[in-house]
Formats: sequence, structure tokens, C-alpha cells
Amino acid sequence: MPKRPGCSKHARMFIVPFKPESLLSLVRIGPNGQLLQLGLVIFSKTGNCGSAVNKLGLELKRSILGKHMPYQRLRTTLIVAVWGAFCAGAEAADTCSGGAAWTGDLAPIAAGDWNVARAAHLMERAGFGATPEMSAELAKLDPARIIHDLAAPQGIDNSALAAFDESGIFDAGLDPFPASRPALTDQAKEKGEALGVKIKPSGNRRLQPVVDRFFYWLRASKLETQRLGYWWANRMLNTKRPLEEKMALFWHGHFVSSEEKVRDYRKMLKQLQLFQTKGLGDFRDLLIGVAQDPAMLAYLDAAVNLKGAPNENFAREIMELFTMGVGNYTEPDIREGARAFTGWNFAGTKFVVNDESHDGGEKTFLGEHGPFDGVQVIDIILKQPVTADYLAGKLYRFFVRDEVPPKLRKELGDVLRANKYQIAPLLETIFRSRDFYSSASCGTHIKSPVELVVSTYKKLGLGVVPGVPDFHETISALGQTLFWPPTVAGWAQGRSWITPGLLIERGNFARDIVFPDIGFIPPDRNPGEDFQILQVSEKLARGLDISSATVPDNKDQMATANMMADRDEDFNTRYGSYRGWQKALEKVKPLPRHTAPIDLTKMLMTSKTPPKTPADVVDYFVARMFVVPPSPGERERLAAFLEKELGTKDIGHAQSYMEEGLRMLLHLILSSPEYQLG
Amino acid sequence: MTYGTRSISRRRLLGTGASALALGAAGEGLTFGLTSTLARAATETQKNSNRILVVLELSGANDGLNTLVPYADDAYYKLRPRIGIPAKKLLKIDDHHGFSGGMTGFEQLFKDGQMAIVHGCGYAQPSFSHFTSMAYWHTAAPNSGQPLGWVGRVADTLDPQGTPNYIVNVDDAQSLAVNSSLHTPVVFNEPERFMRKGDADTRPMFDHVEDVSASENASQKYLVEVARSAREASQQVREAWASYRTPLDYGIRPLGLNKIASLIAANMPARLYYTSYPHNAFDTHVHQSDVHARQLTYVSDTVTAFMKDMARIGRADDVSMLIFSEFGRRVADNTSSGTDHGTANLMFAVGKNVHGGHYGAPSSLTDLMDDGNLKYTVDFRRVYATMIEGWLQHRDSTSILRDKFETFSMFA
Repeated sequence: MPKRPGCSKHARMFIVPFKPESLLSLVRIGPNGQLLQLGLVIFSKTGNCGSAVNKLGLELKRSILGKHMPYQRLRTTLIVAVWGAFCAGAEAADTCSGGAAWTGDLAPIAAGDWNVARAAHLMERAGFGATPEMSAELAKLDPARIIHDLAAPQGIDNSALAAFDESGIFDAGLDPFPASRPALTDQAKEKGEALGVKIKPSGNRRLQPVVDRFFYWLRASKLETQRLGYWWANRMLNTKRPLEEKMALFWHGHFVSSEEKVRDYRKMLKQLQLFQTKGLGDFRDLLIGVAQDPAMLAYLDAAVNLKGAPNENFAREIMELFTMGVGNYTEPDIREGARAFTGWNFAGTKFVVNDESHDGGEKTFLGEHGPFDGVQVIDIILKQPVTADYLAGKLYRFFVRDEVPPKLRKELGDVLRANKYQIAPLLETIFRSRDFYSSASCGTHIKSPVELVVSTYKKLGLGVVPGVPDFHETISALGQTLFWPPTVAGWAQGRSWITPGLLIERGNFARDIVFPDIGFIPPDRNPGEDFQILQVSEKLARGLDISSATVPDNKDQMATANMMADRDEDFNTRYGSYRGWQKALEKVKPLPRHTAPIDLTKMLMTSKTPPKTPADVVDYFVARMFVVPPSPGERERLAAFLEKELGTKDIGHAQSYMEEGLRMLLHLILSSPEYQLG
Repeated sequence: MTYGTRSISRRRLLGTGASALALGAAGEGLTFGLTSTLARAATETQKNSNRILVVLELSGANDGLNTLVPYADDAYYKLRPRIGIPAKKLLKIDDHHGFSGGMTGFEQLFKDGQMAIVHGCGYAQPSFSHFTSMAYWHTAAPNSGQPLGWVGRVADTLDPQGTPNYIVNVDDAQSLAVNSSLHTPVVFNEPERFMRKGDADTRPMFDHVEDVSASENASQKYLVEVARSAREASQQVREAWASYRTPLDYGIRPLGLNKIASLIAANMPARLYYTSYPHNAFDTHVHQSDVHARQLTYVSDTVTAFMKDMARIGRADDVSMLIFSEFGRRVADNTSSGTDHGTANLMFAVGKNVHGGHYGAPSSLTDLMDDGNLKYTVDFRRVYATMIEGWLQHRDSTSILRDKFETFSMFA
């Protein structure tokens, strides 16, 4: 019989053999026969019943701890309890992890391995989380069927989702939009008009209307792109095809484009729609779609990729970041690849090929020779064995875990190759695999800010993303601004989502849901500190001339003599920025500004088994919100906190006034490190 | 004209250079007998464990040619008829160069031999996008998609055990430069706001550290560790800032350097600090002269005050600063009396231990690239390598920078 360190001489151990599992229970019994400590350690091949037995053991401990109980009776009780737990566990196992033995094993799990925890795990990764009710429903179905429906959702009716409601900020005069404000004013001086606006024939600031319009579009497109992010978040929340949106989120971080440089919400919307419609399909279609996508063309400088003067930006990124990874091509490959894409450009939101800018000459690319164009270059890239491995590895990191052993990456690459670059079959393999339900995969993923925010709302049962706190501000504070990825490499993911400041922000987000900020100012209506626009506005209203009104409120800058008088100038950019904001406010539709409609009391009291004690309440929220629960000690502390807030252990008594205490508790629970895991 | 690697300035040879040689010899004597690499490495680590690097980023592409003006070069005035700064308005540091008129602090630092100016810094196939080029400088990996920052990688190499609060980044959002695989940078902007929201009753709950040592979930352990660091760091930062008093005037825009000073004064364990002049402030396409001169004055004021502050608290020997921008600006001014995006630029290293002087070779103003930009003469990563090897005394910058870069003899 193995000895456990730390056991007193009163300790007894029982080994209760079961097949195929064996079970060891560890008990400490006091001199009078009372139970001092009970621990149950399950050795299990599948881990199926571990959690059920542990839970039962804890309840047993709670009910008989300290009570005097004849040794023989205790022993019998334990054995019966453990047996009961085993039977229950075998019937309705509820842990995700199938243990370490499953790690790296791509064989699919059996239908008998399917359970509620695994359904919840699947929805965390392949979607944006699930309520316990949804997971329980899914657990009754065949996992292969569920996963197939996720990966190939075309038959699922999603028509309840509204299309993006465009504000109508664009008009034809805005295309083509100049690269910069100086380019705009040069053009206006040369042609007498720009952006569809003529310059004034005489007077001061003759170019001002042109400049105003320039800033209008910059501001309006930025605000509209933020609305787009809010619309997308609602889609993530309510879609019946969650993997479609999750894949779009993956591609957004893979085929990076940013509104920062694209400066046209229409292109960002079009790119998102490409990801949504083709994201689960044929990678070749998607890759060609991206190479011809106006946002990507704008983002990676297609306009300056011309015959005789190729720009290597896109050719480099398509190999380095989109398909192969560094070290699998040469600098000459980049130069030759760039030539193949010359002349590919956009006009508004359309892809165009300018034949006169296209270099139709012979190229040598990745060892092949020919007068390649962009599509042919893409086909050569897809022929490289490393391409499937690279992409499969990146998908795996996004959906499963950070570490991809080379052998596994190769096996996943094989799956992608065997399926001729169809994404869905690879994802089905991943989500059905034992590896996906191994201890290395379950609950080890640090949720991205978007996953955190959307899944929190989902688990709280919300049907609409709240307007307070502001979605765009929230994800920005947490480090993942949709449509504004930080670099062409996308978000670094994993542990980089968490800094001390960002972890605190995650807790603050939870508090902003349950106790909305009374001083909330809609950031899409109020320029805040931007360019001191509010001060300019106020000074103009007081009758100051434009030069005086646009001098920054800054003692030092006030002293600059040449900024004091109403200067003779072509235009004033600060004034243009102010007018641009004003016009954008007229045009861009406001976002809804409701707070989260939560009623935690009702949620608890209408649940299947309404809680009776603070500990029940904590268990309820943990079961509802968590994949990796906080430790039992933490849960006890949380229960003690709630009891103190409510002034009683009796939830029935506290029912009429407990909402505030529940909200404080929820803030605490959602601030815990474990809540960041999905 | 070439400065640096080989041609050491006269002052340096006569001054600190000679005593550095003597000190080097003494150092050998101290480690006599401890011949193993391990022992020597341990001694070096101990000796240099107080050395702090502060990085100041000037975002938006600072115009180097109007920061340190090559007033003796006629080409400068020919190419910049609108914004060329007349020689009489400059703070001349020698018979060729002069600082922009408000940079009295920089002038003094240079004359005191505490400022190294590295000319012609850039990289091959330069990007003209602020965004992209800044990412290249942050990662020290031009034309690549490296997810970790160079400062982060320095931390991972110098401190593989991941000491908490080793990197501090004063900003609203974490800079790519400090992205690290083993460290959780302390990122804050307003010390007062680096704080968890929570009602009085909930606060004690946050002070508790959960024990997850038995967990096999590495991500969970990591999160609990960051939570501990957040709790400690936010309190340390707020306390350091609250108790910090300085007689020095950091000027109009302290750029986070006063906050960094407060942390150094409070003996924060950080060895790498990162801060910036944010929001593309130096993107001076139009009417740049006044605004640019003003911003340079702010930079000069705060850097100088910071260095004096370090001397005041007795830490001048421990702190060096690196100043950079993602690229320079076009040599010729544009018709809007501003400058467009360019290439090669200046970098500055500042500190009591820095051998002041010129390094690298200024780019020619007449032999330009086809697009009218300067040809770079120094890969900027040579300066990073110099800070890593020369200042932080980690001999192998190659593993961090993923390539071998020749260093400058800028430190003792």
C-alpha cells in the first residue's frame, strides 16, 4: 500500500479496485473515529468519472466532516459513495480532459466519449462560448454531426441576422481618395477642384472646403468602421453558424488589413464578407480573393506595384505571413513574385488589372519559369509542401494551443493536402480529435479580448451587445481593436494578450457590465481630446476668428507669434478637422447606448435548481461562466464574501435585495485569472 | 566623414577612454582565479545588474536634418529653401553641425561628452509607412513579421527566469517593442489610473493570491502570476509616483520620463524602460518649422531633466537612454513648407557612461536615392547591438537580433 507523505498515524487508506479504472481514496480519521480529511484521487484512463467522483467526495466531506461516525460505517459509506459516483460518472461524465495520453492523437473521439464539458470546450473554441443549457443540449447529439455542422454550416438558416446597416457616408466624389492631405491640396491647386469640391476663386482659405471634405471622410470612415465592429460583434453573439464568424476572426488576424491605412470602411466590410463567405471553403479561392481584395491591395501598396518599378510589399507578405513562413523562399523570389502582381489594383471597391502596368515578362519563381501572373504565382505557392504545414500549424495555434509539435504540424498539413486545401475537413479533424480534448488542450487557451467580451455576453444570456460600455473602446483597452490590427503580422495572441495592465482592464470590463459608468460619454459622438476639437468649437461659438480659435490651448504654443493673427493661408487643417468631425456626426448613424439588461436574481431563481446558499450561487456562476474553475478555496472565499454582503446564508431570504451583492460577486468572479481561460 | 567604430574622438582618447582601459585591467585582476565561464558570467551579471536602459521613441518620423543641422553643407540650404534653419539660429556643436535653437539641453549633454550621435541610421528596402517601419524598429526585424519586440527579447535573454516588473512601458497600450515571451511588461500611462476598479468591500478579495502550484495548467499558472504582478506593480507604481518629488523641471511634455524617474528612485526592479512621444507627433508634412522646433525643445528639456534627476538620486552611473524614430524625412522640403517621409536618420545614446561624440557616417545630401532620400550608412540594429553588448553587457547580441551586427565602442 503506498504511503502518502503528511498522513498521521491515524490515517487509513482504501484501495477500491475498479475496472477499467482503479481508484484510490485517501482518508484521515481522528482518534474518536471522526473524519478529519477526505481526498479522492482517481486514476482513470479516460478521466470520464474523475470530476463526478471528486464532487461527490467534496459533498461527502462537507456533510460528515467532524461528525463522529463509527469507523466501519464510515468505510461502508465511502465505498458506497464512491461506487455511486463511479456509476454516475460512467453515465454522465463531465470533464473535458481525456488526459495526457490523448495529446497529439488525431484519432477521433468515440460517440461514447462525448459529454457536456467537451461540448462546452468545443463551443469555446469553434464559436464564442455557450450557456450550460446549450452545452447540455449539444451533449445529447452526435459529436461528429455537431462538428460537421459547425465546419459546413451552409444549410443552417442564418437569415435572422441583419445585414450591416450602412449610414450612407460615401458619395462618388470621394473616389479616388488621395493618399494624404498634401496630395489632396496639391491636386486641388492644380485642377481647381478635388474630392468633387471646387476651390473658392478668391478670398482667404480658398482650399478650406476641399480640406474639410478630406477630414470628413477620414473621420466618417473611422466611425463607420467602428460601427462595423459593433455589427460584427452582434453577429458573433447571435449567429447560428459560430465557426463561420470565428474563422472570419482568424482570417482577419491572418490576412491583415487595417483601417488605419485603408481608410475606407467599404473596403473593410467587403474584406470581412470575403472571410465570412469563403473562410471555411477552398484556401486557393480565398487566397486569390485576398490578393484581389481592395482593402488588401490598398493596405499592401498595390497602387505603386508597377511594371518596371515593382513594390515588394504584397509579394513578401503573401509568402512570409500568408502561406509559407520565413526561410522557405529567397529575396529574388520576392522580386519575381512582385512582378507577377504588377498592375493589380483597385478602383473604389472593385478589383482591376491595369494591363499597361502589368509585367507580362518571363519570371523565375520558386524554381519555375514562365510569364506568370498573380494567380499562377499563387498556384506555385500552393504546390510547396510547406504551405499546407504552415497554414495548418497557424490554424491549430488559433483554435487549440500555442505549441504545435512538428510531427503534429506535418500530420495536419497532410490532412489539408489530402483535402486539396479545403479548410472545413481540416477543422473537422482537429475538433474531433482526441488531441483537442487532451489535458494539453482543455482550458489552456487564453481568450482573446473579442472572445472574452462576446462570450461573456453570450453566457450572460444577452441578445444584443450593450452600447455601454462601448464595444470599440472595450476591445481597444483590452488590446484587440477589430479592423485595426497592430501590424501586418496580426495579433501576437496567447500570453501576449495578458499584461498586468490588461488583466486589470479585463476585470474593469466585468465591472463596467454590472455597474455601468454613469459618466459614460459616447465616443462616437464626442471627439474628446482629439486635436482639441472641443476647444476649437467653443472658441468659434464665442466669435473668435479661425486662426485664433485653432491655436491650441497651450501656453507655450500661444506664444508663437505667427499663429496669433488671422493668417492669410490656403487652408487651416485644425479647422478642417473640426468641420470634418461635425459633418461626420451628421452622417454617421449613432450606436445604441443601452446597458447590459441583466437580472442576476431572476437568472438564479428561475434556474433548474435555484440556489439555497451562497456556495450554491458561486457554483452556479462558475458552472455558467468558467471552463477552468477557480480552486475550491477561492470558491469558499467567494461564498463567504456573498454571505457577508447578503447578511445571511439563506438565499431565499435575501432574494428581494440580493441583486447588488450578486453583481459584486460576478465582478469578482469574472476578474479571476481562471476566467481568462477558454 | 565617418565617425565611431575606428575613429575615436580625441576627447575620448584623452579622457574617459584611457581610464576605461585601466579599469578593464583592474576588472581582469578581480576575476583572477575564477576562470570558468560560469563564474565570469555570474560576476558580470552581478556587476551590471543595476544597468538600466531607457528607450525613448519619437513617433511620426522626426526630421533628423532639422534636429542636428549640417549647416556647413550647402546642399542642405539648397534642398530646403523654405525650412532650412539659418546657421545663426543654431546651437553649434562643432564646425559642421548645430542643434535646433531650442535644444539647449542636448547641446549641453553633447558638450559634456554624455551624448553619442549616430548618423545615417536606417535599413535596406525601407518602408515609408509609419506603421510598418515602426514595427520594423520595434521588432528589429525589417521586412518581417516577428511577433516579439527587441526589448522584450533582450529581457528574455538577460533574465530568462522572468523576474516580475523587469520591463516598464509608459503608454496607453503596450508597445510591440516590449512584447516578450517570458516577461509581463508593466504597462501604464497614468499611474493614478493603473488601478483596478472595485467597491470597498471587494478590494480585500483582490489582495488574495491564489495558490495554483498544484495545477498542471501552465496558462492558469501564468495568469495567476500576472495577477500577482498586476497587484504588486500597480501598487508600486502608484506609491512610487505619489511619493516622488523632484526639483527638476521636465518641461512642457515630460514624455513619461518623470514617471520612469519615480520608479528608478523607488528601486523598481525594472532594467528596461520604454516610453514615447506618441501619436505620430513628428509627422511634419506641412509648416513644420515652428511645431518641429517646439517639439524638439520638449524632448531636449525632458531628456536633460531626466539625466540630471538621475544624477540627483545617485543613479547616473546606472542609466543610459536610447532615442530613435521610425525613419527620417525627405531631404528636400515640400511645397507646403514641410517634409515627406524619408529614410536614414539620427539615433542618440545619452548617459554618463556614454562616450559622447559622433558615430557612423552622415548620409550624403547630394548622393541620394532615386526618390530623393538619404542612403543609410548604419543599420539601426548596430546601435541596438551596441546597447545590448556595450551597455547591458550581454556579449551575444546575435541571438537577440537574429544576425551579427558590428557594435560601436560607445561604452567603457
